Amino acid sequence: MSVASSGTSPLSMSVILSVTKDEWRYWMRSKLALSVLVIGVLLTLGSVIVTSIQMIELNHQRQSLQNNAEDTFVDQPDRHPHRMVHYGHYAFRLPSPLSMLDPGVDAYTGNSIFLEGHRQNSAMFAEQRQGTALTKLGSLSPSFIVQMLAPLLLVLIGYSTVSRERESQTLSFILGQGTSVGSLLMGKALALFFIVSLIMAPLIVSSVFALYQGESIAIVISFLLGYMLYLIVWALVILAISSVFSKNSESFTSLIFLWVLLCIALPRIASTTAATIAPTPGKLETDFAVIAELRKLGDGHNANDPAFDKLKASLLKQYNVDSIDQLPINFRGAVARNSEAELTQVLNQFAEKSMTKELEQTLLARHFGWLSPMVAIRSLSMINAGTSIETHHRFLRETEALRFDFVQALNTVHVEQLDYQIDINRSNDEASSKKARVSAENWQVLKDFKFEIDSPSTRLSRSTSSYLQLLIWIVFLSLIIKTIGRRLQ
Amino acid sequence: MSQLVSSITREWRFMLRQKYILVLLLCTLIVTSFSIFSGIKEVSQQHQTIERLKQADLKDRSEAQAKYDDVGSLAYYSFHLSYSAPSNLAFAALGERDVYPWKHRIRMLALEGQIYESDAQNAELAQAGKIDFVFIISALSPLIIILLFHDLFANERNSGRHDLLVSTSISSFSLWGARSIVRFLALYFCLMLPFYIGATISSVSVTMVVAISAIVLVYMLLWTLLSIWWAQKQNTAPRIASSLIGIWVLFAFIIPILGDLAINHSVHSPKGGDIVLTQREAVNDGWDLPKETTLKAFVETHPQYKDNLQFKNTWAWNWYYAFQQVGDQTAAELSQAYRDASQRKYELAGWPRQMPSPLLSMNNKSATFTKRFGCFITPSCLETSSLKNRL
Repeated sequence: MSVASSGTSPLSMSVILSVTKDEWRYWMRSKLALSVLVIGVLLTLGSVIVTSIQMIELNHQRQSLQNNAEDTFVDQPDRHPHRMVHYGHYAFRLPSPLSMLDPGVDAYTGNSIFLEGHRQNSAMFAEQRQGTALTKLGSLSPSFIVQMLAPLLLVLIGYSTVSRERESQTLSFILGQGTSVGSLLMGKALALFFIVSLIMAPLIVSSVFALYQGESIAIVISFLLGYMLYLIVWALVILAISSVFSKNSESFTSLIFLWVLLCIALPRIASTTAATIAPTPGKLETDFAVIAELRKLGDGHNANDPAFDKLKASLLKQYNVDSIDQLPINFRGAVARNSEAELTQVLNQFAEKSMTKELEQTLLARHFGWLSPMVAIRSLSMINAGTSIETHHRFLRETEALRFDFVQALNTVHVEQLDYQIDINRSNDEASSKKARVSAENWQVLKDFKFEIDSPSTRLSRSTSSYLQLLIWIVFLSLIIKTIGRRLQ
Repeated sequence: MSQLVSSITREWRFMLRQKYILVLLLCTLIVTSFSIFSGIKEVSQQHQTIERLKQADLKDRSEAQAKYDDVGSLAYYSFHLSYSAPSNLAFAALGERDVYPWKHRIRMLALEGQIYESDAQNAELAQAGKIDFVFIISALSPLIIILLFHDLFANERNSGRHDLLVSTSISSFSLWGARSIVRFLALYFCLMLPFYIGATISSVSVTMVVAISAIVLVYMLLWTLLSIWWAQKQNTAPRIASSLIGIWVLFAFIIPILGDLAINHSVHSPKGGDIVLTQREAVNDGWDLPKETTLKAFVETHPQYKDNLQFKNTWAWNWYYAFQQVGDQTAAELSQAYRDASQRKYELAGWPRQMPSPLLSMNNKSATFTKRFGCFITPSCLETSSLKNRL
């Protein structure tokens, strides 16, 4: 090795590795570091196992509920088609494979939705509402453990990594021996990186499981890479702070303070700010606007509503007849089909508007990722896992398409297969009511529904800004460490 | 007395020279002020929303009433608004209003199919949680206390001044006591000042403010005494703080999470989906069942209407409402069990929340969400029955 002149000597791999080894030897001797490490790995492992079991159960449960709902629908007896429009159908949101690592909003949004004619219902039965409210600070999900607790563990293990050498004045000794500051810092960073890898191990194993369940390899890699970058950010924060302060206690206090600020306070400040700056009108308020708009359209149950005069005129013209009775189709069905289409257009317009607003609000909160790496990884993780708000919106859109399809298919049956005269006399007596029915074979119009999350490429492109946030943090911290390194010499 | 004053002024000046304490206190003040400000804003937004909803509801209802003149259609097209307005103290404890709906609007039929729908806020924001005063006191203040008090002795010990200070000061209280009091009061001031301003703006009663001040004081004292006691037993500041933070993690995460798992395991609840499925099937069967069967079931629970149930056609409003009601009755037991389970879980979770833990939930009056589903169903049901009387 070149003559000892710290800073100018090139980075030597063997020197870096020996620094790393020394650091590990120190940790293994220190009871605190060792117990923290063991606790950390056990916690991650435990949460991975518990959450996986929960999500697999949920998957089976919802899948069977979905099949059940489909079977019940097609098993209905002969009926008036409009009865089936109101009988309705249920759709369930299946959890994505990676939701066993990050359940995201799954517990906060309802996961089943009732689909019926003339209405867009909201999702029902959010799990969080049936809970104990004990998990407001944190849940047992692996994502939470790694995002929130892993940085704390890293701090507890590594706060003294450089400050210790300064406090006990071994730093000048080490540098005097020919180790360059660069090699020293690299070695310490590498030591911290091994801890990061240890924490990541359970995540990696269960990601393989997600792969086996059909998740794309690009997403799994992106998901793990995100967490890796996040923990590297923290390793660099620790290295930087530990090099700035010459006392262990100062380094420790500052790191804990940063942890409280970045991991506990800022994510909440982000969501509160977003909710305050960009409030969204709730569903109720939107409903009123929808009702006002819909009142102009006319009631689809009432074929005599003057709102349908135009439809009547155009149908009479199309079939070249003089009255509704002479139409070869069922006019009541035509009104129902027509008004459902118009109504759905209005409903969708409002639904899209409120989803856009909700998304804007969310994106505002995600911008706090520039200030807190925890916010960045939180978004990145949920987006990749397919458990973010966008996935829920996708669920709402897909179920709406499903709803519109089967309702209109039933309305078409009403138009084509039920005679108008029989239909208008259906309330006269029991016999006429029985006559005004169509065959149960028609219920096969219902399509199978299996909710699938957004394509890997969509999710990847959505997570770009979170990636950028983490990368900027890394670049910024590396520059800081470089500057501090120069001062250390 | 003058001695105490002089030690306190000395420690006050000493604290002003310690930059990291000042930074910590300043951050606390800023974050607390932010939480109070956003809390007030949120509460006023909720009040405004309720006002807008009330007006829109009135307009919608009068339009519906102008359009229809038969009682059946009137009831069918009239909705009923129900809401739970935030209390005066809600700015400090937003509670679970981001998870549970605090406004609802339903039609007077097939209630079981409607009451579990939600008008909740952005799920992704709800998952991140909000920062309100209760959160700051319960979760953040212990950490700040740990940061402020863990190095009370260790710092001096480390810089070699400990023994000198102890031997030269008149009593150990005049030294450590005065220092602790100064730090404690400074923190208390940073946490409570924004709250007092918020309480004045929101016209919270003085008794309530005093009660909350006392609770916060006791809670903070507990953590302070724990920190000081632990600080005496150990040598190095980081070691002291690590174990204190360990205790915090235990109270904030581990016990609540394990409690949650245990409670969810022990309390059995019907699945929400089963309620609405049962109700849907019952309502749907109502169309095909002989009318006498439906009416018999209806009269059993509503004997006062037994003379109003005659009709000629195969379709009539009173029969229609009767079978919708019978549908609700069929699902009532399941629905009740679901709500009971929810309530039971919440009550069982009470004990970990009452510990000096970071999940401290102030007191009942500030917990803005009390009866969960209950409060939404009751007013609507009242209105429903009053409308049914007109049928």
